[in-house]
This record gives sequence, structure tokens and C-alpha cells, in this order.
Amino acid sequence: MADELKFPDSFERRGERDKDALDNRTARAIRSAYRPPVARGEGENAYWSTLERRIMARVASAGVPYNDQGWLSVLGGWAQVGLVAAAALFAVAGVVSDRFDEPDEQVAYESVVHTSPEVYSTPAQIILASDKSGQRDAALQYVLSY
Amino acid sequence: MRIPDEERALVRAAKSGDQDAFSGLVRLHQRRAYLVARAIVTVHEDAEDALQDGFVRAFQALDRFDPAQSFGAWLNKIVANAALDLTRRRKVRNTEELTDALRSPFRDPAESAELSERLTAALATLAERPRSVIVLHDVEGYTHVEIGEMLGIPGGTARSDLHHARLKLRELLKDLRG
Repeated sequence: MADELKFPDSFERRGERDKDALDNRTARAIRSAYRPPVARGEGENAYWSTLERRIMARVASAGVPYNDQGWLSVLGGWAQVGLVAAAALFAVAGVVSDRFDEPDEQVAYESVVHTSPEVYSTPAQIILASDKSGQRDAALQYVLSY
Repeated sequence: MRIPDEERALVRAAKSGDQDAFSGLVRLHQRRAYLVARAIVTVHEDAEDALQDGFVRAFQALDRFDPAQSFGAWLNKIVANAALDLTRRRKVRNTEELTDALRSPFRDPAESAELSERLTAALATLAERPRSVIVLHDVEGYTHVEIGEMLGIPGGTARSDLHHARLKLRELLKDLRG
């Protein structure tokens, strides 16, 4: 029988005892009071065997440790499949979107880079010039009218 | 600390998912682990619940257990945590019944059932932590450091709790002494 099953006196096992500790009689009485109650006609070994079976039933029903499957294990089976499918769909959508967006961006970029500055500046100058000449004409007409 | 070969082999097999091997570990450690749980929760049924929870948690965390450590010490820490969780969930305690037991006249110090009853009642008047500390130290022989690790408190706190618990218990049981 293994040491743990012999239920030795802890202080005998350690070979030491605190002088201020509870006396032996009290310590033994507490230990006795804290022993599991054993049913009439049932030996203590029978109690521990039954408890062991109950513990193992709980362990078996708890199943494989979550850690073996990683963080995905917190989701149910269908939720895991759904999550993987959604991730794949998102990745495909990203690639497709990139392909379609590329020509538009390229065209927009080229139209800005390759356009001659005169195309924009000339009309601006014309507009500015026409505005200034219009103001000048109006001022001249106002002065001449007096 | 020397770890017995039998335990080492059982841990290795259990880590690879062998439930029979884990059953062997349960057989080796359930008695001491039960006492750790009982020191914290005091009630037998709660101690059994905490013990079962503790073993399930230990099984599920086996892949994180370092085989160079003592399985018993690791397990006791997990069982103590399960017991502490249980006491947090069941804060309501029937103190009336315990107080009655304390007041009952003591008939015969040699009568072990009476002694046990008085002791149990006296222990139940202590706060949860000092009570756990005094049982784990003075009855089960764990060190302050081991108790600190189990209960998640510094070793110095365990020492101080022990001192106060002894004073109170001696006061409550003074008519039994001598």
C-alpha cells in the first residue's frame, strides 16, 4: 500500500512539531472529527473505493481537456465549422475585392499624374482674367456716367 | 523532493489520456486531498464536492503539470481552490446549530464523540481562513509556505492566522484541558 493510503500522522512523517501547536489529543480528535462518515457495515476502504468511482465518473463525463483543442474548443462543433467557413469567405472576398479595385485606382492615379498642368491652369487664368476685366469695365462705366 | 516511480509512471500515462492511470492517482491522493478540502469547507458533503471538482480540474489541466513537481502538492492546491470556490458560493452557514453545540455541557472528556463534537463546533466559530490554517498546520502537518500556496496567501499571513486561531481555540476549549 502506498504511503498516502496509510494515512500517517503528519508530524511523525515530518519528524517535527511546533511547541505551540495543539496537543496531540486535540489534533487527533480534530482529525477523527474530519474523517468522512462511514456507513454502518461499510469499511473505510469501501468508502474510498466508492468515492474513487464517483470521481472517475465525473472525470469521464468531463471528457477531453479543453487545452488539447485550443481556444476553439469553447465553441460547439457547428460554431467551429461556421467560424472557419466565415474566415475563408472573408479571405476570398478580400482577394477578389483587391483584384477589382486595382484597375480603378490605377486609372485614377494615371489620370492625375499624366494630365498636363496647362489643362487646368488655362481656364483658371481665363476665368480670373474675365473676372478682373469685368470689374474694370464696370468701374469705367460708373466713372464715365458722371 | 523524491517522487515515487509509481506516481511518476501514473502521471506520464495520465498525461497521455489514460483514465485508468488517473484513477491510480485518485487512489493515491484522495484521502489527503479530502482532508485539505474538509479543513476548508468543514462539511463532509461539501468536502466531497470540492474533492470531485478538484480532481476534474486537475485532469483537465494535466497537460500543464510539470512531472518534476509533486503531484500531491499540485493537486492539493487545486482541491483547496475548488473548496474556496465552494465556500464563496455557499456563504450562508447555519451558525445557530454550531453555537448550540458549543454551549452544550461537556460530560466526559474521555468520550471521543463528545470531544469531536465540541472541537468541530469550536472550529466552526473560527473564520474560514484561520480555521483552514490551523487544521492544515496542527493536524495535517503542512508548513506555512505550503498552506500559503494552497490558500493563495503569503506564508507570513498563514503564520499570523495560525497564532490567532490557536489562541481562540484554546480559549473555547479551556474546560477540556488539564
